[in-house]
Amino acid sequence: MADLSVQLGPVRLRNPVVTASGTFGYGRDYADLVPLERLGAITVKGISPFPSHGNPTPRTAEVFGGMLNAIGLQNPGIDTFIKDEHYLPWLRTLKTPVFVNIWGKSIDDYAEVARRLEAESAGIAALEVNISCPNIKEGGIAFGTDLVMAAKVVRAVRAATRLPLIVKLSPNVSRIGDFARAVADAGADILSLINTLPAMAIDIETRRPRLANVTGGLSGPAIKPVAVRLIHETAKAVKLPIIGMGGIQCAADAIEFILAGASAVGVGTATFTDPGVLVEIVDGINAYLDRHHIPRVADLVGQVKLG
Amino acid sequence: MKHQETATVTVNRPLGGSYYRLDLAAPAIASAAQPGQFVHLRLPLFQHRVLRRPFSICDTDPASGRLTVVYKTVGEGTEHLARLPAGGTADLIGPLGVGFSAPPTGRLPILVAGGYGCAATYLLAKHAPRPCLCLFGARTVGDLLLLDEFRALGCEVRLATEDGLAGHRGLVTDLLVDALAGAADGPPPMVYACGPNPMLRAVSRLVLARGIDAEISLDHAMCCGVGACFACVVKRRAANDDGWEYVRTCVDGPVFRASDTVWDT
Repeated sequence: MADLSVQLGPVRLRNPVVTASGTFGYGRDYADLVPLERLGAITVKGISPFPSHGNPTPRTAEVFGGMLNAIGLQNPGIDTFIKDEHYLPWLRTLKTPVFVNIWGKSIDDYAEVARRLEAESAGIAALEVNISCPNIKEGGIAFGTDLVMAAKVVRAVRAATRLPLIVKLSPNVSRIGDFARAVADAGADILSLINTLPAMAIDIETRRPRLANVTGGLSGPAIKPVAVRLIHETAKAVKLPIIGMGGIQCAADAIEFILAGASAVGVGTATFTDPGVLVEIVDGINAYLDRHHIPRVADLVGQVKLG
Repeated sequence: MKHQETATVTVNRPLGGSYYRLDLAAPAIASAAQPGQFVHLRLPLFQHRVLRRPFSICDTDPASGRLTVVYKTVGEGTEHLARLPAGGTADLIGPLGVGFSAPPTGRLPILVAGGYGCAATYLLAKHAPRPCLCLFGARTVGDLLLLDEFRALGCEVRLATEDGLAGHRGLVTDLLVDALAGAADGPPPMVYACGPNPMLRAVSRLVLARGIDAEISLDHAMCCGVGACFACVVKRRAANDDGWEYVRTCVDGPVFRASDTVWDT
């Protein structure tokens, strides 16, 4: 049995497998099917200062090797998240670390959610700052693809809370290392990447886009090689720990991300395919380490052999 | 309690047209399933597709662990499913969602279905008090399914087809108008409906105009099936500024009250 624990800056996880935001609801929906105590951490769906309806339907479309989504960050808002028994009060009963994904339409919105959670920080292991959602008109990817704005958002959130900050980066930039450095300088403790890739699908019979939002974010195994490349680039650019995600379906995929430079891995779309895969990935990483006589998963991070 | 189990296919046979009956040995789900709930099925050897497919539960036999689904081949997933042989396996999650409420004794249950929507009401009919009235409509006679099975349960089955080859020539809602008129003197009937959205919308209008409600089962493309992803939302009346909220078909439904449902124009 290898040591699967990982240290992500100030955050310690019992193993490197984390649920990706937006794919695991607020944790409770999967409690019958996934032994939550076996996960490294749970990342909950994005919370904003205000309740949000999200986008019109259809919100998803299956494509070869993946899916598009344009959910639009539907959420009950920070007040309900803090008070309602289905959300934070329930999450506090878990032994698994909880990452709360946050977003807003303005820098003040981000800071506002962070301030509210700072005051309610019991049971929250970190905030994940979403500056990369491709499906909302304001905030999201508009911040994550602008170096100045990205840094401003992170600085504002940093000033609002002492909680560890994960910053979720967009793949939709030409030099991700620049963004990694910018948010690192602004106070990020951990980076998570990649968010979904902006994409589109068309129904050729109706000639209409398959999503009501016209475009959406592509996830699933189709994006995995893109994610591996971006994690590799990011790991070269900064020293911050990385939670790598984007199309991971099995332990072998997770190990590829770790070799590229991720200290932990996020699993999203694969949970829809099979909720059991989360624990299979934990066990599969352990089996790989044992087979290769590697005592600690941390020893594998960034160990891709170049040249 | 939701279960995930590897179910063995015992029967997967055509019912005519593009309809199929699928029997699975899924004891944990079969013994927990309630009328109107669904299962989320992962197809084996379908690696390039990441999503499960939801299917209404048609029937269960908790004693033997049998769970029956009736499906129509409508695309790549269901065509793949139709090739799954007896003895093969499929991964199932279920039972999922909020199903139909139990019909109270003393009130006539009226089941209204369009096409293979009747399959989603079979388990309800099995447990409903008698008499139980089934109003089934379809485009053609070939789209009417399970008629003998419903009759064998002791239900009265009335038919409508658009081509007039079976029963009333016209829509199932015509049958509902007559049935509601016939029941006007007694206690209000319990109306349950499953079928295409235009039919459900027409049924909703009809019953609400007469001061009664209906339980309608909505069909929606799904991703997670358990409430986590918010892909399968529909509008439901709510006490907020907009008067509606998006709720999840998979956990807040698939069965909703007609009086709660907001239809986009």
